[in-house]
Amino acid sequence: MLQTLGLEYHYQHGKKIVFPEIEIERGQRLLISGFSGCGKTTLLSLIAGALQLQVGDIKFDDQDYTSMSSLLLDRLRANHIGYIFQTLNLIPFLSVSENIGLGIRFSQSRKSRVGNLNQEINRLVDSLGLDKEVLNTPVNRLSVGQQQRVAAARALLGKPDLILADEPTSALDSDTTKKFLNEVMETFDASKQAIIMVSHDASIAPYFDSVIDFNKHYA
Amino acid sequence: MLSLLLKSMRSRIIPTSLVTISLMASMVLLLSIERIQQGAEEGFNQSISGVDAIIGPRSSSLELVLYTVFHLGRPTNNITTKTIDDVKQRSDISWLVPIALGDSHRGYRVVATEPNYFKHIRYGNNQPLTFSKGVPFAELSEATLGSDVAEKLNYSVGSEIQITHGSIESLGSKHDDFSFKVTGVLNKTGTPIDQVVFLDLKGYELLHLGWKSGKKVFSLEDIDLSSLPPDALNPKTVTAAFVGLKSKLTIFNFSKNIREYPEEAISAVIPGIALSELWSIVGLVDKGFQLLSWIIIAISLIAMVTLIIASLDNRKQEMTIYRANGASPKFLAAMVIYESLVIGLVAIIGAIILVTAVTYFATNQLNLALGVSPSFKWISLNEIKVFSIILLSGVLSGLIPAAMVFRKNLHQALS
Repeated sequence: MLQTLGLEYHYQHGKKIVFPEIEIERGQRLLISGFSGCGKTTLLSLIAGALQLQVGDIKFDDQDYTSMSSLLLDRLRANHIGYIFQTLNLIPFLSVSENIGLGIRFSQSRKSRVGNLNQEINRLVDSLGLDKEVLNTPVNRLSVGQQQRVAAARALLGKPDLILADEPTSALDSDTTKKFLNEVMETFDASKQAIIMVSHDASIAPYFDSVIDFNKHYA
Repeated sequence: MLSLLLKSMRSRIIPTSLVTISLMASMVLLLSIERIQQGAEEGFNQSISGVDAIIGPRSSSLELVLYTVFHLGRPTNNITTKTIDDVKQRSDISWLVPIALGDSHRGYRVVATEPNYFKHIRYGNNQPLTFSKGVPFAELSEATLGSDVAEKLNYSVGSEIQITHGSIESLGSKHDDFSFKVTGVLNKTGTPIDQVVFLDLKGYELLHLGWKSGKKVFSLEDIDLSSLPPDALNPKTVTAAFVGLKSKLTIFNFSKNIREYPEEAISAVIPGIALSELWSIVGLVDKGFQLLSWIIIAISLIAMVTLIIASLDNRKQEMTIYRANGASPKFLAAMVIYESLVIGLVAIIGAIILVTAVTYFATNQLNLALGVSPSFKWISLNEIKVFSIILLSGVLSGLIPAAMVFRKNLHQALS
C-alpha cells in the first residue's frame, strides 16, 4: 500500500537524515523505534504529506507524492490517513464527539464509510474502553489516557487506510500504555487498515508485526 | 465551518468581544456624526419655511439671510414702505410680511412685524408657529415672545417689557418711556425664532417717534397718543419682507423683476438656496469630525488584525488538528477571514441598532436641546456605502493573518 523510495531529508540547520526504506501493506502494524531527534516525526510528516519531499519518493497505492500538489496531498491525508499526536490531540472548545467527528469532516469518502455517525462514535468509544459519559464531559476534564483514546477514536473513524501515530503513549504510564495499545489494536480493522507508530519505547514491540529500529539503521 | 468558527470565537469571547465593541463604538461615532450632521443641516435649511423669497436692500444674499433669518449682524440699508406697497400689488404674490430690525430686549433681538407673521412664517418641515401661552399681539403696545426669551427671562403673558435702542444695552439707549405687554409665548421651534421679541410695526414706529439719528429728542410721556393722526405711525421704511408666491414656479421670474425694480436698489433671495450656500461654509467643521471618526475606525481595524494575529499563536493546536485531519491551508485562511467578517458584521449591526434606538428615543430631547432632530431611519444609501467600505477593509486586513496561516506549513505545526 505504502512504500518509501530513497527518502532523505536535509534540515535547515545542516543535519541530514537518510531514512531506511519502508513498505507496509493493509493489515500490517509497523513500529518505528529510535532515540529522540532521530527523525521519526519528520518521517511521519513526510508520509502524511505535510512536509515537502526533498530527495526520494513515496508511493501510496499507485500515487506518487512527488507528482502531487500540496492540495492533493491534503486530500490524500483527509481521505486515507488518521493521525494521532503525542499530546494535545483535542480542540478544547469542542465536545468529545465533535472532536471525534473532525476525523471525517474534511473527507467525503471517509464520511461515506460511516453510516450513522453517533452509532459509530459510540461503537469506537466503547471498543476503546471509554465510558459513554465521556462524550458529555468537557475535553479539559479528561485524563491523558482518556484523551489519547478519544484521539484514537478520531483517527479510526471512517476507517482510513493508514493510521500514523506519533509517540501516542509517551505521556501514559506502562499499565495505561498496555491497555491503550490493546484496545487500539482490537478496534483497528486488520482487513482494511495499516498502522505506523513511532516510539522510543521498545517495550511495546510485541503489539506490532514488524519493527524498524532507527538506532540500528544508523549504527 | 461557520459552527466551528463560532465555537472557536466563543472560546475567545473576551478579547473577541472587546475588539467587536471597540469597532462598534467607532462606528457608532461615525454614524452619530453623520446623522447629527444631517439633522443639523436639515434643521439649518429649515430655519425658515413657507417663505418663497426674502426681499431686502440690495446686498449679498448671505448677508440678507443672516440678518433676516438668524438675526445676526445689522442691516446696512432699509427699504421704503412705498417699494413694499408696490411689490404687494404684484399679481404673482400670495402674501407679504414686512419686518423691521434694529432694537433688542436684554440681548434678544426685536423683530417688528405684522400679526400675520405668525400665520405665514413656518419652520422645520413646513410646521406652523404655535403658541404655548396666549395669542399673537394685536395692538401696538403688545409683544409676543419666542420660547427661549420667555423661559430665560422668566416672562409670561401679562409681563411688561421695555425695548433697548440698537442691539446693545447702554446708558440712555433705552426706550424707557414706553412698555409693551406680553400677549403670547410661542412654542419651541429649535430655530432663531425662539430668541426673538416680536412687536407690532406701528408700536416699533411709535418708539422711534421722538428719536433722531439714534438719539432721543423728546419723550413719549409728553405726547397724547390719541392725538396722533392715524397714519403717523405707519412706518416709512422697513428692513426686509418675507414673501409667499402663488406659484413657486414663478420664483426666478419674480426675483429677476425685483432686481430690476427701477425706483430702489432691492433684491430678492430664495431662502433655501441662500441657506444651503451658508451651510457649505458652516458645514466644514463636521468634515473634520468625519475624518476623525474614520481615523478611529482605522485604529479599530488595526486592533482587530492585532487580536487575530495574537490569537493565532494560541490557536496553533486548533489549526494543527484541522490540518492533520486534512483541512487545506485555504480552509484555515478562510476561517481567519470569516472571523474578521463576523466581527465586522456584528459591529455594524450593533452600531445601527444602537444609533437607531438612540435617535428613535431621544429625538425629542435632542430637538429641544440642540434644535437638531436626527432623522429617524434604519440606514441610508450613503451609510450602506460606508459600511461596505468598512467591511471590505475588515476582510482585507483579515488577509494579513490569513496569509500567515497559509504560509505556515503543516510540519512546523505538527512538530
